[in-house]
Amino acid sequence: MSERELSSNGSGSGELLVVEELEKHFPVTRGIIFQRQVASVKAVDGVSFTVREGETLGVVGESGCGKSTMARCIMRLLDPTGGKILFEGRDITRLSRAAMRPIRRQMMMIFQDPYASLNPRKRVGFIVAEALEVHRMGTDAEIKRRVQELLEVVGLNPEHYNRFPHEFSGGQRQRIGVARALAVNPKLIVCDEPVSALDVSVQAQILNLLKDLQKEFGLTYVFIAHDLNVVRHISDRVLVMYLGKIAEVAQRDTLYAEPKHPYTGALLSAVPIPDPELGRARRGVVLEGDVPSPINPPSGCRFHPRCPRFREGHCDIEDPPLYSFGDGHRAACHYPLERWPMTADEMRTAQSGPSAAEPVSR
Amino acid sequence: MALLDVKDLRTHFKTDDGIVKAVDGVSFTVEKGQTLGIVGESGCGKSVTNLTIMGLNPKRTAIISGEAIFKGEDLLSMPSKRLRDIRGNDIAMIFQDPMTSLNPVHSIGKQLVEAIMLHRDVTKKQARARALELLKAVGIPRAERRIDDYPHQFSGGMRQRVMIAMALINDPDLLIADEPTTALDVTTQAQILALMKRLQQEFDSAIIMITHDLGVVAETADDVIVMYAAQVVERGSVHEIFNSPHHPYTWGLLGSLPRLDDDPEHRLVQIPGQPPSLLRPPQGCRFHPRCPYVMEICRTTQPELEEIPGEPGHLQRCHLDEDTKRREVEKLLSGTMAEAS
Repeated sequence: MSERELSSNGSGSGELLVVEELEKHFPVTRGIIFQRQVASVKAVDGVSFTVREGETLGVVGESGCGKSTMARCIMRLLDPTGGKILFEGRDITRLSRAAMRPIRRQMMMIFQDPYASLNPRKRVGFIVAEALEVHRMGTDAEIKRRVQELLEVVGLNPEHYNRFPHEFSGGQRQRIGVARALAVNPKLIVCDEPVSALDVSVQAQILNLLKDLQKEFGLTYVFIAHDLNVVRHISDRVLVMYLGKIAEVAQRDTLYAEPKHPYTGALLSAVPIPDPELGRARRGVVLEGDVPSPINPPSGCRFHPRCPRFREGHCDIEDPPLYSFGDGHRAACHYPLERWPMTADEMRTAQSGPSAAEPVSR
Repeated sequence: MALLDVKDLRTHFKTDDGIVKAVDGVSFTVEKGQTLGIVGESGCGKSVTNLTIMGLNPKRTAIISGEAIFKGEDLLSMPSKRLRDIRGNDIAMIFQDPMTSLNPVHSIGKQLVEAIMLHRDVTKKQARARALELLKAVGIPRAERRIDDYPHQFSGGMRQRVMIAMALINDPDLLIADEPTTALDVTTQAQILALMKRLQQEFDSAIIMITHDLGVVAETADDVIVMYAAQVVERGSVHEIFNSPHHPYTWGLLGSLPRLDDDPEHRLVQIPGQPPSLLRPPQGCRFHPRCPYVMEICRTTQPELEEIPGEPGHLQRCHLDEDTKRREVEKLLSGTMAEAS
C-alpha cells in the first residue's frame, strides 16, 4: 500500500500513526449452544491512512459507516480482524495487554456522550487522576497538583476537584473528558464525536479549546464527526467513509472545494447553510434511500445503489480502487466529479469515461 | 387573521426546588401556509411552548396562563374533549425521536388506521387505503408490503417518514415539528426537509419548526423566533434574523456556528458560560451574565420586546443602542467579531 507516499508529499513531518488495510468484521451467529457463524458485519473493511504528527485528521461519515469502530480499533479497544496499525513506527496490532500499557499513555480518547463516559460515583479529581495513578506518574501530592493544573487548562475551576460529574453541565463534563485525556501527556487523541451532544454555543467553546490545546501541546488528533461544518473547522485533512471503506481523502480545502466522489458531493450539498439566500438558491443533490446493511454490502462500488452517476455493468461489478488526483487527494470512484458545485441532473448527465487518474492502490 | 395567535404564554412547573418558569411570556403568530422557526438551546423552553399549545403538559404540576387562539378558539381554555378533536386533526405534531414516538408492538399500518378512524367516520378498509396512499406520498418504497411491518423494521429516516404520514393523515392546518431531523444523518435530513417542503405546498399547511440548527431554520422558515431562558429575545423574518440580527444572543448563535462558507482558520465566537437555571433566572436582562456588551442597566432592568425602528415586524429585547448594534452586526457578518470574554 502506498500510503507512505501520501505523507511524503506533505510537510515532511513524521508519521505518528499508520493504518494499513484495517479490517474489523463482527461475526453474526446462529444457534444457542452450537453457535455457528452465518455472516459477518464488515464494519471496517480495508481502510488505510496515515496521521502525521501535529495534524488533525477529520473522519466523516453517516451512522453505521464504521468510523467509531475504526477509532476503537486504533485505540486497541477492539481487536482488528485484519490489517496493521503502526504507532510511531511500531506495529501495535497484536501487542499483549502488558506490552500495550506504555503505549496507551501516548494515545487517549475523548468520547461522544459526556453523560455516559464519566463514572457518576467518582469525584472529578479521581476521574482525571486515574490514568496518572495507573501509570504511576508521581506521588499523591504531585498528582493532585497536576489534576488541578489540568482543570485550569481546560477552563474549569480547580477547586471543583471534589465535585461529582452530575454537578456539571454537558459542556463542562466534556471539558472534564478533555482534561482526563490530557492527563498523561499523550501524543495522539482520538476524539469520537466530541461535540455532537452539545449545544452550538458550547460546541464552539469545546472546538476552540481543542484547537488551543493542540497549539499549546503539539497534539495530534483523529477527529470523528458526522457534522461536515465541524470537521472542516478543525481538520487539516479529511477522510470520508462509506460502509466501512474510504470514499475520499484529501486536504481540507481541496475536499470541500473540489470533491471527486459523488458521495462527498451529496454530503456537502445536504448540509444546511445558515444563510437563507445562499441555502435556498442551491439545488442540492438529494440522495435516495438509506445506507445499506454492512452484513451484505452491495457488489462492486458500495455506493452504487444510491449514486446518481451509477453505470450499469461497471460500478456494480468492479470495486473502484482509490484513484489519485494529486497532492494526496484520493477518491474511490470510477466516474469522479469533474467540477463542483453540480446539480443532481448535471451529475447524472456529465459522465465521462473512466477516470484519467491513475489508480494507486490494489 | 392569523391561523394561530399565541399571546403572553406562560408555563410554570411546580417542583420540589420551587417554581420553574419554563415559558415566561411568549407571544407569536403563525400564518396559513407559512413556516415559523423556533430556535434556541436546550432548556430554553421551545419544546414546552409547543407542548403547552397542544395541551400535553402534566396537569398536576403545570401552571399555565395566556392565550393560544387557533382559528378563533382558545386552545388553552377549551374543554379537553374539544382539544382532542383538534389534536391530530387540525394540529398535528412530529417528534424528534421516531423510535420512541411509534408504538413498537403494533404494525405501522395498524397505528395509521387507528389515527384515521379516531377522527373520521370511515370503514377500516377505507382507512387502510388512505394509510397506504399517505405512505406512498411520503416516499416509502413498496408501501403495499411495508404497511404491515413493525417500527423496528424501518430505518430512522423511514420511521420519520411514517411519523410524517401519520401527522398528515387528516390534512392538518398546522404541523408542529419538534426537532424532526435532529436524530437523522445529513443526507436523510435533506430528504426529510425536502419532503416536508413538498407536502407543505401540496397541503398548504402551516409549520412550526422547532430546532437548534440554524441551518435548518435558514432553509425552511419564513419567520423566526429566537428563544433564550424561557423568553423570546428576537423575532423577525428569516432574512432579518440572518442578515441584520439585533440581539447579542443571536449574534453569539450565528458566530458560534462553524459553517461551510467561512474561513476555517478564524476562531469561532463563543458565548461564555451556560444558560441560566430557570428556577432563579438572572435579574434584569436574562442574557446579561453571558453578554459581552453588558451595561449597568442590563443588570437591573429587564428590556422589553420592542419593534426596531424602521423594521416593522422585527422585534428584539435588548438595551444596546442602534448604532453599536449596526456596527457589531457588520463585524459579525464580515467574520471579525470580537470574541466574547
